[in-house]
Amino acid sequence: MTDRRRINGPVGATIPLVFEDVEDYEQVATKAARSRAPNAVRKMYLKTGVTPSASGSAYLEIETSGKGGVSGLKLSCTVYGPRSLPRSSPFSPHIILSTHVKYAPFATKQRRGYLRDPAERDLGSHLEAALRGAIIADRWPKSGVDIIVSIIEGDQDRETSKTQGDEAWDIMNALSGCITVASAALADAGIDCVDTVAGGVAALVRDTADSSPSIVVDPIPSEHEKILASCCVAYLPTRNEVTNLWYKGDLPASDMELYTKLVEKGIQASTNANRVLLECLGETVN
Amino acid sequence: MSRHQAVRNMDWHDALDEDQAYDSQEDELSAEDRAYLTQGTLDVQAALGVEASKVTVAQIEESLWYYYFDTNKTVDYLVKKFINPPQKAAPAVKKSDGYLLQKDCPAAAPIKPRQSFSHLFKDLPWGNIPKDRETVFIAPQMPRMGLLGGSSSAPSKMSKLQQLAAARKKKADERAAQEKFEETRTQMTELSVKEESRTKENIPIAGQFGKRLKTSELTAEGRKPLTFDDPERLGHRQPSPQEPPQSPPQGLETKSIAVAGAEDTVAVEKAEPSAFAQTLFGPGLDRSIPKLQDLSPMPYTGLPPSALEAFSKPSPDDVVLAAQAKAGKKTAVVQPKKKGASSADAVTSDIKGLKLEDAPLPKSRNLDVLLEFENSKSKKTASFVVVGHVDAGKSTMMGRLLLDLGVVDQRTVDKLRQEATNIGKSSFALAWVLDQRSEERARGVTIDIATNRFETDTTAFTILDAPGHRDFIPNMIAGASQADFAILVIDASTGAFESGLKGQTREHSLLIRSMGVSRILVAVNKLDMVGWSQERFDEIKNQVSGFLSATGFQVKNITFIPVSGLHGDNLVRKSTDPAAAWYTGATLVDELENSEPSVRALAKPLRMTISEVFRTPQSQVSVSGRLDAGSLQMGDALLIQPSGEKAYVKSLQVDEAPVDWAVAGQNAVLHLSNIDPIHVRVGDIICDPTKPIQCLDTFSMKALAFEFLMPMQVDVHRGRMHAAGRIEELTALLDKVTGAVVKKKPKIAKPATVARIVVKLGSKVPLEAGQRVVLRSGGETVAAGLLE
Repeated sequence: MTDRRRINGPVGATIPLVFEDVEDYEQVATKAARSRAPNAVRKMYLKTGVTPSASGSAYLEIETSGKGGVSGLKLSCTVYGPRSLPRSSPFSPHIILSTHVKYAPFATKQRRGYLRDPAERDLGSHLEAALRGAIIADRWPKSGVDIIVSIIEGDQDRETSKTQGDEAWDIMNALSGCITVASAALADAGIDCVDTVAGGVAALVRDTADSSPSIVVDPIPSEHEKILASCCVAYLPTRNEVTNLWYKGDLPASDMELYTKLVEKGIQASTNANRVLLECLGETVN
Repeated sequence: MSRHQAVRNMDWHDALDEDQAYDSQEDELSAEDRAYLTQGTLDVQAALGVEASKVTVAQIEESLWYYYFDTNKTVDYLVKKFINPPQKAAPAVKKSDGYLLQKDCPAAAPIKPRQSFSHLFKDLPWGNIPKDRETVFIAPQMPRMGLLGGSSSAPSKMSKLQQLAAARKKKADERAAQEKFEETRTQMTELSVKEESRTKENIPIAGQFGKRLKTSELTAEGRKPLTFDDPERLGHRQPSPQEPPQSPPQGLETKSIAVAGAEDTVAVEKAEPSAFAQTLFGPGLDRSIPKLQDLSPMPYTGLPPSALEAFSKPSPDDVVLAAQAKAGKKTAVVQPKKKGASSADAVTSDIKGLKLEDAPLPKSRNLDVLLEFENSKSKKTASFVVVGHVDAGKSTMMGRLLLDLGVVDQRTVDKLRQEATNIGKSSFALAWVLDQRSEERARGVTIDIATNRFETDTTAFTILDAPGHRDFIPNMIAGASQADFAILVIDASTGAFESGLKGQTREHSLLIRSMGVSRILVAVNKLDMVGWSQERFDEIKNQVSGFLSATGFQVKNITFIPVSGLHGDNLVRKSTDPAAAWYTGATLVDELENSEPSVRALAKPLRMTISEVFRTPQSQVSVSGRLDAGSLQMGDALLIQPSGEKAYVKSLQVDEAPVDWAVAGQNAVLHLSNIDPIHVRVGDIICDPTKPIQCLDTFSMKALAFEFLMPMQVDVHRGRMHAAGRIEELTALLDKVTGAVVKKKPKIAKPATVARIVVKLGSKVPLEAGQRVVLRSGGETVAAGLLE
């Protein structure tokens, strides 16, 4: 279906040329340097109540890794509801979550369309799964809540024009951010939850072509030579429950230990995010 | 035959046969083609040289034929196809390295460079591009701050906001770097304390997020919440014997269990907002809720008081406008003040007076109207309505009366007669004195009330010529409501009287009686048609007087006069016809003068029913009508009901002469000011603003039934005004004479009985007790009565 309501750019749009400065090139050549410890997550900035017209809202920002030309992750989430369901919808004994995740057209290297693409839909369904475990849904029968996450900046390295195919791994980081920011916005909207849910990512990476793989949290694809597998966890710290788990990549099926380790690391990253979340909510309360 | 059918009927076999024939003819090569082929084969063989042995002549010929004798293409094809087939050979030789082989391909073709090729690609360096030919790409300036897109402004062009943000960011970076160093140092020294800090951090989680979490300390399965220092959970993290302990991930794992906590605390620190976030939310340190209110859509609430006061005072423009208004208002400020006007009225009139009008309000002379009226030596005024069955000769009689009295001159009548003769209605000439509308003249019937006036020595009369046709009864009611007495005109000619008695003679007399007219003059018209027969006159007199007294007229108030409207006998002058000598009574005009006009309600509050609204040079809104009660003078404030709008009397006219005042009983023309024409309609009531008439939609009335009355839809007529409504209920049947209740709550009221009924109207209408209304239903008058 074509979008007739907007004036879209020409169909066969080209990607602008990327010019390599000599200095930049040297920098890229010596990339593979992760500036953080393998189990340290990036700092994040979270703020609730940013959209006055919404029932609840939050803004999350994950800083860049300090390298030039690499954008961080910037998310804004608005929550509308709980509000009564439209007349046409059937009776529901619990609250109905509808989650929308949308990349801004300028958020990523590859320009995004105005309509949601399958990747964004996928993110939305994962986010819904993550939040559904946290919300006490039967407090609001016959009502619905809309959670809309806009990805303003998609945590991508502009310089990695040559190493295409990182999008799949960027999505994991985006999802973890979405979970955290949506949880903050839900709390801001005053929707009862059993706990605050936060997302965390762990990945199995290979830093150089011949080195053995290692596990890191909060991976930035451009900082590693190759990401072998990645895992995004949505975790409720006080209840010790995982509401959503998403694996990507190929791990040897025999090594079960590796799977559990990835989850453990993901939980660790999630706990870190949760602390920021709690600190932010505490500020709002005070 | 249509094209469609042509296609359907086409003989396919014939058509195809023709084609085949053509094909077979062409199959044979022409001599010319053959020559080309031979020559081409030779050329190709020459071009192929040694390789020519690898292809047969047939192959060459076929490819030549295929390429239309193009030797170059044929050679190319043959080389590719038969002599040096590259793709087939490639996988066989080197399985995996397709890339290399493709590179080799051009080199494998030995006879590649040909005249035409070299011509085509002449001067093409094929990779070894000389430096001077290389293009120079100029890199665009990179957008700052790592955003994808945005303007590429030079640092010198940075806006203040951007500079601020950049400065902040730089500062924050410096601080962060320093802090990081400090933190790592302290953490290294305080590694043992981390357990404590972790548990501390967990407390607010439970504390803030609800009592619900009480159970979460130990979950359903009896699990403890996950902590990284939990030895149970640590169990599976012990390095398994299979794994080499030195491998980086595992090594990290084992080591980091202790370190994990420490590094968690590093990350707990919330990041400072980026420049983007700072622009969005303001300075990062101000995260308090009150700040959020700055995002509210009323930005000026936060302005300093001096800025807020800027608009509390009138602007310079307002000052000038006010001064101009003040200067212009000096004449307009004079307001009419009526005696006894309440203070509230004064206030409203003050406000009205503030309006800037082109013309100043009329000045009231503050006369005592009633005293003036008593002192004035003017003649009596009386108005009478002329009723009767259709074609009884009402208009003609009045036309004759006016002609004989000299109100209309003979010349006008002659002119009218001329016009009437032209359309073959010469007998209507006199009626046309009053029936002035083209429609009335064309149809020969009166449609709306015509007013005219004449004066005798003692009295000024107003004629209200009512329509006789039953379709225009509402207009007749309007006329009757303005009349002091009535002239009932009866057609004496044979048959006409009888039909009239059943028709409008009867209905009109009932109506005028119900409208409160008590004095009635019966003019037996057209007696000249029956030779002034006294028998006919007496017969009519007996029947009509019996009927009228039954209707409620007193015998002393009924007078019969034999007249001839067309010839004017017994109107102004006595009849000169010897046949009419038997009549010795007074003429019609004499009888009119003898009639005592009814008592005027002069002292009552002003009531005037508007019978016409029109525009005059004097005013946008001029109204005419009869003053039912009260008095008014120039400059008076008036209230128009039901619109409830106020107006002022700019000037007024009585009998087409400008006067200063008017009293009840007079027909006046008022020129109003300060009112929009849309608020004034025919049938509205003008009243005193201090004692306004009420607008009712439900009222009780004492009704004389002409037809069977029951709860039903009726039209309520009062003067010009009429409104749709329904009889809600019949409250009681009353005695006709005493007015005592005979029966309560009757289901139905028979004709000629009096009943008390409740009527509900569709809309609010100005009504008050004592007014006479007529109820009509389906084109017939069903009842008439008095409001209670």
